[in-house]
Amino acid sequence: MALAPPPGPTRAAGAAGAAAPAAVPPAGRRRPARRRQLTRHSVPYLLIMPAVLGFAVFKAYPVADSLLISFTTGNDADSHFAGLANYRRLLADPLFWTALRNTGLILAVQVPLMLGLALLVALGLNSTKVRLRALWRLGVFVPSLTGLVAAGVMFSVILNRDAGLLNWVLSLFGVDRVNWLGSPVWARVGVVLVITWHYTGYNAVMYLAGLQGIPTELYEAAMVDGAGPVRRFTAITLPQLRPILLLTVVLSTIGTLQLFDEPYVLTGGGPDNATLTVTMYLYDNGFKYFDFGYASALAYALALLVSVLGIVQVRLMGERR
Amino acid sequence: MKARGPLLTLLLAGAFGLCVGPFYWLAVAATQDDKDVFSWPPALLPGGHLMENLRGLQESVGLTRVLLNTLVVAGVQTVGAVTVSVLAGYAFAKFEFRGRNLFFVLLLSTLVVPDTVMLIPIFKMMMTFGLIDSYQSVILPGLVTPFGIFLMRQSLRSMPDELLDAARVDGAGELRVLRQIVIPVNRPVIAALALFVFLGGWNQFVWPLIALRSPEMYTLPVATATLQGLSTTNYAQVLLAGAIAAVPVMALFLVLQRQFISGLLAGATKE
Amino acid sequence: MPHPLSRRQLLQLTAASAAGLGLSACGAGGSSGDAAGGDGDSGRITVWSWTTAAEALRGVVPSFERDNPGIQVDIQDVGNPAIWDKITVGLASGGKGLADVLHIGVDYLPGYLEKFPNGLADLSRYGADRYQDAFAQGLWPTVVGKDKAVHALPWEVNPLGLFYRQDHFERAGVDPTALTSWDDLIAAGPKVLAATGAQLLGLDKPGTTQDMDFFQNLMQLQDAFYFDHDGRITLAGPAAVQALTVIKRLNDAGLLADTAGQGTWKRLVGEGKLATAPYPAWAVEYLATKFPDQSGKWRVMQPPAAVPGGGRSAIVNSTYLAVAAASKRRRAAWRFVEYALTKPAEINRMFTSGGVFPALTAAYADPMFAAPNAFYGGQSALKSFVDSLGAGSGATNFTGDYARALKLASDAQSQVLLKGADPASALKDAARQLAQQTGRQLAA
Repeated sequence: MALAPPPGPTRAAGAAGAAAPAAVPPAGRRRPARRRQLTRHSVPYLLIMPAVLGFAVFKAYPVADSLLISFTTGNDADSHFAGLANYRRLLADPLFWTALRNTGLILAVQVPLMLGLALLVALGLNSTKVRLRALWRLGVFVPSLTGLVAAGVMFSVILNRDAGLLNWVLSLFGVDRVNWLGSPVWARVGVVLVITWHYTGYNAVMYLAGLQGIPTELYEAAMVDGAGPVRRFTAITLPQLRPILLLTVVLSTIGTLQLFDEPYVLTGGGPDNATLTVTMYLYDNGFKYFDFGYASALAYALALLVSVLGIVQVRLMGERR
Repeated sequence: MKARGPLLTLLLAGAFGLCVGPFYWLAVAATQDDKDVFSWPPALLPGGHLMENLRGLQESVGLTRVLLNTLVVAGVQTVGAVTVSVLAGYAFAKFEFRGRNLFFVLLLSTLVVPDTVMLIPIFKMMMTFGLIDSYQSVILPGLVTPFGIFLMRQSLRSMPDELLDAARVDGAGELRVLRQIVIPVNRPVIAALALFVFLGGWNQFVWPLIALRSPEMYTLPVATATLQGLSTTNYAQVLLAGAIAAVPVMALFLVLQRQFISGLLAGATKE
Repeated sequence: MPHPLSRRQLLQLTAASAAGLGLSACGAGGSSGDAAGGDGDSGRITVWSWTTAAEALRGVVPSFERDNPGIQVDIQDVGNPAIWDKITVGLASGGKGLADVLHIGVDYLPGYLEKFPNGLADLSRYGADRYQDAFAQGLWPTVVGKDKAVHALPWEVNPLGLFYRQDHFERAGVDPTALTSWDDLIAAGPKVLAATGAQLLGLDKPGTTQDMDFFQNLMQLQDAFYFDHDGRITLAGPAAVQALTVIKRLNDAGLLADTAGQGTWKRLVGEGKLATAPYPAWAVEYLATKFPDQSGKWRVMQPPAAVPGGGRSAIVNSTYLAVAAASKRRRAAWRFVEYALTKPAEINRMFTSGGVFPALTAAYADPMFAAPNAFYGGQSALKSFVDSLGAGSGATNFTGDYARALKLASDAQSQVLLKGADPASALKDAARQLAQQTGRQLAA
């Protein structure tokens, strides 16, 4: 990509060792000599051994085991093979479809909203015209440091209808008390707001990192050609950000489709299932109804959906050259 | 054109307020008396009950012990997961070996399976190993992070081979190449990964809740959850626990933030 | 060669360790049932409970350890609802990893007994059956599993009462003791509202907490529930429709405050905005400690009937102590359960310290159950609950599918309160879904 080392103060300040690669032309990606590969053939196996072991024990085995469970019904002593019964049941379960619809709705609204905001914030943070950039950058990233439990206790009080901070702030602008979490429509809005609060800064910092990696020469050349700010954004910024845009879109899609934390701590999936998500319903089936077979079937139906959507996104965004 | 700088600054300051405001309120609420947490209008200035709430937390959950547990779990997990990721990322980026692509695809494909469904198989396994209610039970499952390995692979791929070859010609073994070249050169992305892992370890909730049995072993999120009884919850204490949970990760981010951003740049933007 | 391991050796090593893991994992999966359990009679036993109840249990430990040398007891406060995830995972893993003694609510116990028939120890083997008549009526059927054996002992029982603000009713010129049914209350409510600005009672309308106690109480007052005694679904039956209709009428008359959200109910009560609280016995202590400035203003009576002339007693819920089948010290664990729950002195000690209303009938002989309480204007507040238990209420069949029924009923109630749905048709939909999910039959 770039012929010169990426500009920007953050890169240079990275580490003492960072001076080393700059001394070598970074463009060439020559493969090491074949001979060396052969004599050192056991090295990569040693290097990935911890990862392989950990993967086998804590990822592959649980995945395989729960996949098997999805073909069984009953627990404990009287668990037995049931073929595709759980998957057939799922197709006829209105709550599964409600959960899927909710998840899809949140996905369609929340991911574009959040990523759009994140891009705007990143552009602002990258502008040399803005003062105190380090402070703003720190502030917008801070929400992504909070965990499930802390965010839960915080927002269940902030979104409280009668004594919450948000309604108080709104009341200053003459807005009547909103029944966040209490009415089907507002509960969805509330959940989307909290997720957006939680993860926008994280995505903005990712974009910021991407923006800082775009060589300034590209912009200078475009200015010489007389391109305006909009043209520069569409012709340089967006294409240069494509890999990182793809990464954030895929990660946010996976995250939203598996959305559990916010409904779990804020609404319990209610009211009247307005914020029931697939993973929330999965959790209820496993841990409240003790129906692990059905819960596992829900998990793999969702996994299938996530995979399909992920592949589609990579196809759509990845191959445009 | 001239007004754009101040306008942008103002907009960013607004975003800053929206992001940080809830934390300010949390810090304020944590210093109130329990019965004032739900007052209208909400308290906007610190109250005088911080020490009382702290003492209450120390009594009810053993705050110092719980903080120590959380620190050990998150710290060890960070060192372990970063090591595993650097080693594997190095292998994926700089070596050709049989099964490389297959394993890489398998690794990433587990991202699509919701974690919730893996809880029971992992719990059964931990029981078999006799590890339930130990630090290990919480730490071990977090050591292999597909995202971490992916991040390291992306970053190491952009490292020039000549650099590594030069060291090897000088007779350095692979461990020395790792220690003296790969790690120093990629320090920013390693810092970014360390922050991610620490964050995950510090905040993780559902698995530690299930894996830890005795209150002396609880981590902060688990202890916070146990504060929530039926109708007797002391919200000032719960909110204080939430505020305390945010402090160490913020401090770590402050320390690492320069490296963090350039690390993301090195890791996530390369194809 | 700098690397002593050849590739073949490496592969062998990996394969061997993977095989080892596979084997041990199979061992874990195959050994369900009570393989690991034992009848140990000494050593250290652990108990899982939550908040105030755990605190109360701790009070029993010193005398128990003195009377039972060789057994040490460790009480662990696991928190509620966190405790259910932990017990569920333990039972799903063949009972391993559980504490020796488990504190379980009536909302979970039947589910555990039904879905994990080998998970909780058979206490009949230790002679638990001799306590069959020692506890308040209506609790024993819950502790007996499909195998006819006893799997837990009742600890806490929560008979329903109606707490009310005497001063509010006085100001409205209404004699509360003359209100014998919810119809009467709905008629009197607007007068109280007009005179004091207080609504009759609070309810979590959107159902975020799935607290359906009030709806359930209104069914229980009619001797009905989500299921009949044969396990058939009665969620759309006449009693359920009547219960939800009462709630709808209260709501339509503006007498129902929305108490969704943490701390809302507490705040409304603190401000005197709720005239009554249909709550169980634990609230006697709770109201007095949380709202000391309202001393003398509250009274309590038996709950009004759900239909005019109907029954006026109901058990809201109850909790139990069980022993994990996988415990290595089942006998020692049983000794502790027996000691804590069948001795009036111990159970009353726990009642005084944690407000856990005892299920043991012999405990009520203690003078404190008849003592006047200043917070209730000198009324002997506990006595009405003891009387209510004495009046007898039918056993409630929670079944193993209670959690599903609860969720669907909560959805139906939200539909009625938030979207104006018709009670009968909302419940009919819920009952049909419940039948589809559980394979249970709808009662005629």
